[in-house]
Amino acid sequence: MSKVSCGWFEDFGSFRLSSIVTLLVIAAGFIIQYLAGGEGVPVLSWPLNAVFIAVFFVLLFLLGVAFRNNPFVVWLGGIPLGLSLIFGIAFLSLLGGVIPQGGVSGDMLSGRLGVNRIFSGWPFLLTVFLFLSNLGLAVVWKTIPFRLSNLQFMLFHGGFWIALASGLAGAPDLQRLIIPVYEGRQNSRAYIPQENRMVQLPFSVYLDDFSIEEYSPQLVLYDPQSDRVIPGKPASGVEVGKGYRAVWPGFEVRVLDYLQHALPDSRGNPRAADPENGIPYARVRISADGKSVDRWLNTGSPSIRPGVVQLDRYFLVMFPGTPKVFRSGVVLSGSRGNKPAVLEVNKPVEYDGWKLYQMGYDEKAGRWSQLSLIEAVRDPWLPVVYCGFFMIMAGNAMFFWKGMKRGGVV
Amino acid sequence: MTLVDFPLVAMAAMACWAGGSLLRFPTRRFPVLRISSYLIMIAGTLLLGWFIAAYWIALERPPLRTLGETRLWYAALIPVVGFLVEYRWKVGWLKYYCMTLAAFFLVINLASPDVFDKALMPALQSVWFVPHVVVYLVGYVLLAASSAAAWHNIFTGFRSQTDRQGFSLSHYLALLGFVLLTFGLVFGALWAKEAWGHYWTWDPKETWAFISWLAYLGYLHLSANKTGPGKLQWYLAISFLVLLVCWFGVNYMPSAQNSVHSYQPN
Ligand code: HEM
Repeated sequence: MSKVSCGWFEDFGSFRLSSIVTLLVIAAGFIIQYLAGGEGVPVLSWPLNAVFIAVFFVLLFLLGVAFRNNPFVVWLGGIPLGLSLIFGIAFLSLLGGVIPQGGVSGDMLSGRLGVNRIFSGWPFLLTVFLFLSNLGLAVVWKTIPFRLSNLQFMLFHGGFWIALASGLAGAPDLQRLIIPVYEGRQNSRAYIPQENRMVQLPFSVYLDDFSIEEYSPQLVLYDPQSDRVIPGKPASGVEVGKGYRAVWPGFEVRVLDYLQHALPDSRGNPRAADPENGIPYARVRISADGKSVDRWLNTGSPSIRPGVVQLDRYFLVMFPGTPKVFRSGVVLSGSRGNKPAVLEVNKPVEYDGWKLYQMGYDEKAGRWSQLSLIEAVRDPWLPVVYCGFFMIMAGNAMFFWKGMKRGGVV
Repeated sequence: MTLVDFPLVAMAAMACWAGGSLLRFPTRRFPVLRISSYLIMIAGTLLLGWFIAAYWIALERPPLRTLGETRLWYAALIPVVGFLVEYRWKVGWLKYYCMTLAAFFLVINLASPDVFDKALMPALQSVWFVPHVVVYLVGYVLLAASSAAAWHNIFTGFRSQTDRQGFSLSHYLALLGFVLLTFGLVFGALWAKEAWGHYWTWDPKETWAFISWLAYLGYLHLSANKTGPGKLQWYLAISFLVLLVCWFGVNYMPSAQNSVHSYQPN
């Protein structure tokens, strides 16, 4: 960093000016936000956002190369300002991390200041804008003239610049839609939650089959008076199955027989059935004070009453386990022809530039849900953001290596 | 191996750490005890490692879902950092801080035992689950060790004013911790894209992870800007508290009510 010593430029090397500027920018952001009545920053969508980023980048580049020794530019791209902005962004993120985001603010003032929408508000975006200017200049200076020894810096800082700038500028082009579809039906209309309206999709989704696999059920004591469940203390085995034993004060329950998928026959006795329709059945022995009774329990389904056992004012019940897998067998059709696919959480499927995700189902109906909620996502900026991510990771790996090596000469 | 055996294993591990540490006192007179002191301390950590492996098998899923399970990993890994630092940089004192911290985590787990629960919700069933969490774990472990070293430097370094070694130690541990934090953050973003459709949604947990990352980013730039080592030790010592908020505290924030990241079934 060049030494500057004329007038109040002397301050440029210190943190004082940088901190004051950061505070002023944040304050200005809140004032603009307030005057705008809580409205967020106007969004620029394609292609204006791309133009904005390109112009911003070219200006930074020219500023960095042509005015390299100008004290103002040196300050703008220097560490003191960078640090102040890092702390400024951390402060704003702290607000966003403590105050619930996204909801409607009950309070007029906080609503107008936009504290319930920190990350799309003026204070945050102005600060990030200055931060990107600072980081961009630092990258330009480390890149020109090119030196291999600066590669780690370029990758790390350049990658972060690209990811942050394109992630924020590209946000308006991100589309996230919810497609509700019932078993045996087709849907080509989707719902936009933020805007509360439906749109027509360029393709349609036919739901062939929706299914859920569950973990083992749980044996609990239900107290109808307080509407509370009392789990027992497992005494042998860790999950409900043959041989499982659990104790409650005063009695114990042992599972004598267990069927994961069963249905009652004509006499009401459970018989093994297919996984699609069968429900868990357990024959339990309830013992207290040397006496015992044997009973069948089941988790119930829309057509079968749950099998429970009454014990004084309590009920011994078997709750269905939590979902292990839920999946939709679908057929996607549109200009790319028909494509059968299976959607599961963590296994999205691509179709015609969209990525489809298994999102949810009718949770009240649980395993018996006929409805599947599918999310369709389109993010044209993703490759640019990922390019930034991979640069960060490459720089990071080099940084790790450097740290290990330099660490040796302590 | 289930949680029924945990109290015994935890007590045994702590006994090993304590016993091995105490054995250091007479080593000046009986150098043969030196090696056995190390062996006993390492045995404590191996015991925990073995418990984690057996518990993993019994659970039929990685034991990385609940806070109690992650505390188990910290308890096993933090002393490893202490041992490695001694092996690599010949700094012996760090391991005592590490073992104390690890024992603290074990005591928390003994006081509030986890329930044995095999369930792993669909969002967590991903190839990213283990790398993301383990990278974060190791990052936290290194930063905890860095913070411990910084506290040590605060209490001793200012008196002697010569302890360059202590300053470098906290610095390099923080640097390596930052690298892992960065990997954890990026892995998390890549995973979020696969599981929830977007790589970043400013969910409270993400926001706090970002804040802790910024805290250590601030550290690296303060140090690149030639801030004095004394101030940096205070900075490192305190930054870890931000991490702790991120790790334990997020669930208690008003903002956490709609977080997708609470895996604690209540
Ligand atoms: C605010 C904008 C930023 C500016 C102006 C800036 C500038 C700098 C400068 C001048 C250095 C010293 C380089 C050297 O000693 O060779 C540095 C180091 C570093 N920066 Fe940044 N940086 C910024 C943001 C970032 C960001 C966002 C990241 C993370 C993605 C980052 C990560 C690092 C790392 C890891 C180092 C190495 C520290 C060390 O060698 O001790 N910086 N930065």
